[in-house]
Amino acid sequence: MRIGTAKETYFADEALFDTRTQRVWLFVLAALLAVFPFVASQYWLYLACLVAINVIAATGLNILTGYTGLVSLGQAAFMGVGAYTVAVLERRWGTPFLLNLLAGGAVAMVVGMVFGVPSLRVKGLYLAIATIAASFILHFIFANWTAVSGGTAGLTVPPANLLGLALDSEFRSYWLIVPIAALMVLGAANLFRTRIGRAFIAIRDRDISAEVLGIPLLRYKLLSFGIASFYAGVAGGLWAYFFRSVTPESFPLIMSIFFLACIIVGGMGTTLGSILGAAFMTLVPEGLKLAFGWLPNAEAMAVHLAPVRTMVFGALIVGFLIFEPHGLAEMWRRTRRFFHLWPFRT
Amino acid sequence: MIDWLLFLEVSLAGLGGGGLYALAGLAFVLIYKATRVVNLAIGEMLMIGAYFFFAAATDLGWPIGLAIVAALVASGLTGGLIERLLIRPMLGESPISVFMITVGLSSILVGLVELVWGADQLRLPEFMPTSPVLIGEAMVAPKIFYGFLVAAALIASVLILFRYWRGGVALRATASDRAAAYAMGIDVPRVFSLTWVLAAAVAAVAGIVVGSISSLSPTMGIFGLSVLVVVIVGGLDSVLGALVGGLLVGLVEAWTGTYLGGEYKMLATFTLLVLVLMIRPYGLFGTHEIERL
Amino acid sequence: MRVVKWLVGTVTAAGLALAAPAQAQEEIVLGGSIPMTGVFAFAGVGIHAGIQDYVKIVNDAGGIKGRKIRYVFEDTAYKPDVSVAAFKKLTGSHKVSLYYGDSTAFSKTINPELERMGTILMAGASFATEINDPQKYPMQFMAGPDYSEQIGILLRYVANEKPGARVAIVYSDSEFGRDPVEEFREQSKKLGLTVATEIMTPPGSVDVSTEVIKLRRANPDYTIFHGYVLAPIPQFVQQLKAAGSKSKFMGSFWTMDHSTVMKMGEAGDGFMGVMPYRYYYDDSAKAPMLEKIRRMRPEYQSTPYLQGFLTAMLLTEAAKRTLEAGKPLTGKNLKAALNSIRDFDTGGIIGVPITIKGNSIPVGRIYRADMKAQKMVPVSDWIRLD
Repeated sequence: MRIGTAKETYFADEALFDTRTQRVWLFVLAALLAVFPFVASQYWLYLACLVAINVIAATGLNILTGYTGLVSLGQAAFMGVGAYTVAVLERRWGTPFLLNLLAGGAVAMVVGMVFGVPSLRVKGLYLAIATIAASFILHFIFANWTAVSGGTAGLTVPPANLLGLALDSEFRSYWLIVPIAALMVLGAANLFRTRIGRAFIAIRDRDISAEVLGIPLLRYKLLSFGIASFYAGVAGGLWAYFFRSVTPESFPLIMSIFFLACIIVGGMGTTLGSILGAAFMTLVPEGLKLAFGWLPNAEAMAVHLAPVRTMVFGALIVGFLIFEPHGLAEMWRRTRRFFHLWPFRT
Repeated sequence: MIDWLLFLEVSLAGLGGGGLYALAGLAFVLIYKATRVVNLAIGEMLMIGAYFFFAAATDLGWPIGLAIVAALVASGLTGGLIERLLIRPMLGESPISVFMITVGLSSILVGLVELVWGADQLRLPEFMPTSPVLIGEAMVAPKIFYGFLVAAALIASVLILFRYWRGGVALRATASDRAAAYAMGIDVPRVFSLTWVLAAAVAAVAGIVVGSISSLSPTMGIFGLSVLVVVIVGGLDSVLGALVGGLLVGLVEAWTGTYLGGEYKMLATFTLLVLVLMIRPYGLFGTHEIERL
Repeated sequence: MRVVKWLVGTVTAAGLALAAPAQAQEEIVLGGSIPMTGVFAFAGVGIHAGIQDYVKIVNDAGGIKGRKIRYVFEDTAYKPDVSVAAFKKLTGSHKVSLYYGDSTAFSKTINPELERMGTILMAGASFATEINDPQKYPMQFMAGPDYSEQIGILLRYVANEKPGARVAIVYSDSEFGRDPVEEFREQSKKLGLTVATEIMTPPGSVDVSTEVIKLRRANPDYTIFHGYVLAPIPQFVQQLKAAGSKSKFMGSFWTMDHSTVMKMGEAGDGFMGVMPYRYYYDDSAKAPMLEKIRRMRPEYQSTPYLQGFLTAMLLTEAAKRTLEAGKPLTGKNLKAALNSIRDFDTGGIIGVPITIKGNSIPVGRIYRADMKAQKMVPVSDWIRLD
């Protein structure tokens, strides 16, 4: 139990950030994020943008998998849908980027729900396998609908344009990507204070009881699929603006697995988990590279970096599932709890 | 005007390729039947078996027969190890968690293979006859033909084992009711280990055949994705289903590849998957236990 | 707000203080996203050694106008996103003027960034036809013929050997594989060859026996493989030979390294392919640069090694010409200097003097595998597409 958090109204109890300390820290975090681009090198800005994009996609997947209990291996493919939508809109009509991103999300949402319909006839692991099918079928469309998608060569994307300013460098992209990511994460956190979000959780915990409680399963599962795909679509759109080139091979199945790994490592069913997981999994390869650089015979060992990276990726999934199933978010919470009563109890 | 000889040859090649799918599907079904684990790492288990064979036959220079036996034993041990280290701790957890364990496992295996043997494509030593086989007027590629024979023989022997061998009976008992099997004195954890060992060995056979048909590389695991389709079509827990599903997928791939073009192969396979999931989610021969919405 | 300003100010000052000595330095930096690991490692390791060796040769000879070349690289595992990260890291911490990129996807992704920065001339492992367009890729080039030109050289050879021959192409369903197919059709028509069939194989496909059946029926005199490294070429060749096909088989650059072709075994005997560089052991003519390489490294060096070596040579040549003209090292100047190369002697790595008009060097030669001698032997003269 925490000290000094007596709540007098339900409203206070439902608040997203319930203590003052929390709000202060949040403000500090926001300030840090705002200062970061002025102090960080291009490389770190690049990584920050990448982390932010991955956070969006992972948050979406967490809504579907962590909160609603439906496993999907199609998140990257839906990201591809968003990326292609944005690329086509930006190239053909040059519409404003916010509109493009929304459209990217919306199209991904529709496509996600279309693939959701057949796969939602089945549950659990069958669904996971069905989403693999979605990912292959979408790849086929990307590669062969040449008139729109540019075939295997893909599309190059002009930079997003903010009041005549081309958002083409990391520094400028940062101001596009990170605020949107923050907004989307906030949206996800708020979702679970609404009827819809609570319905998702009810479905995850026991779908039959949820139905008895008056939650139409099919509709809510589809909705969850749609929201997850919307997040993927927006992430894909940002991806397109950031990398400025979209090809069918940009969104492979392993990327979907990566997002799944993000939420496993981060913690399923928590918003914090999506953030921590996506950041951690994006930075692990860079950390490994750094660590390999410190080895005494770095030059010779460099050859082993890629396989070690692959193994560490797998080992993280397995290790977290076996030893820390609630992920980094739980570790974070444990640490926080420790400090709540510190130094009165250790 | 249909060229019937072409159709026949293509169909035979499809059946041959389907035999390999069936073999890999068999390894999958064994595991699912006994332990209810959906093993996404099946393709990687094939791969590791083929690499063990490569190590024995090329790195160590052992004769082919001995190398195959060594590969089977090594793969079996690996399978047992996987079960003890990764699957056993997850006993009683949700099937989704165990599924994700196998997702992680596939990465670990790929990394391991790349670490030891590198990422380059390798060629297995030639050990199958190279002259084409004639069935009537149709010509069949030798490796496909013999691969098919191996697959058929192995599937038949597994079916017989299931029927008559004590371990096979124990496995079936475990599959149909875990608690009852415990009550009847069957050592269920041992059955689990045994299945993983057996399945890994079967996967190794499939891997050796697949590897000798094309080549070895750490990306060989892609083969496993088509195997997922095979077992869904056949029914996750049916050995016969794996056989029929494998042949069916092989035929569909061969026909679409020939008459539509190579890019349609994967599309056809996965469209088949979606269709089966919609019409008959438990597969052609699977148990009707799947819950629907 | 004041805090932010103060922070910004301090940091900028610190950054300038750090950057100042960097500007005074004389080194010319050659950066590289090199696939030392992953599926392309067989090439990456060679490319790396090639670049390293050439840089060493230049530096031992005193550098370019007294300025040494510094080669910095990062491993990419042949993943475009890692490759981009490597680019950002290297360009963030060094003043990079020359760059080696590892894949088509990377070349395309980084292109807008190159144009924005305008300080780098880039070449790389991609021979994609699309990149051979000075309008769209003004700061890139490739040290050889693009994939379409490679196929063109092969067809030119076929038309010479057997006019009106039936040719077939087998390619993978990827950007790499599909790249030259259109050119294949057009050139065949132009050269009076008959297209027997075009076969696309899905990526990572294991069993290609149905494709073999199709190819056998098309009965080509020559079959060109493109978009693969090794598999499934041996399977095709072996099965077709066993079935009594008389076709000859050909490949494009990334298939043609000595070690790759030799892995095909017996069936690979007579396998032909286009190669813009002389093989390491090819001593059919005088090649001072190759001799230098042989002295530096007495064991066989792969064709990707030569590709990296030559790329480094051309990149530094562009830098040298820019500096000699007294111009700053910008992407535009470097590219202009590169395009000023006329009848340039590569020291025998390419058997004829080269001229770089656009983004590629459309020169190549047909080599054939001789399995008895375990060597690739030239069967044509240097073919130039001009």
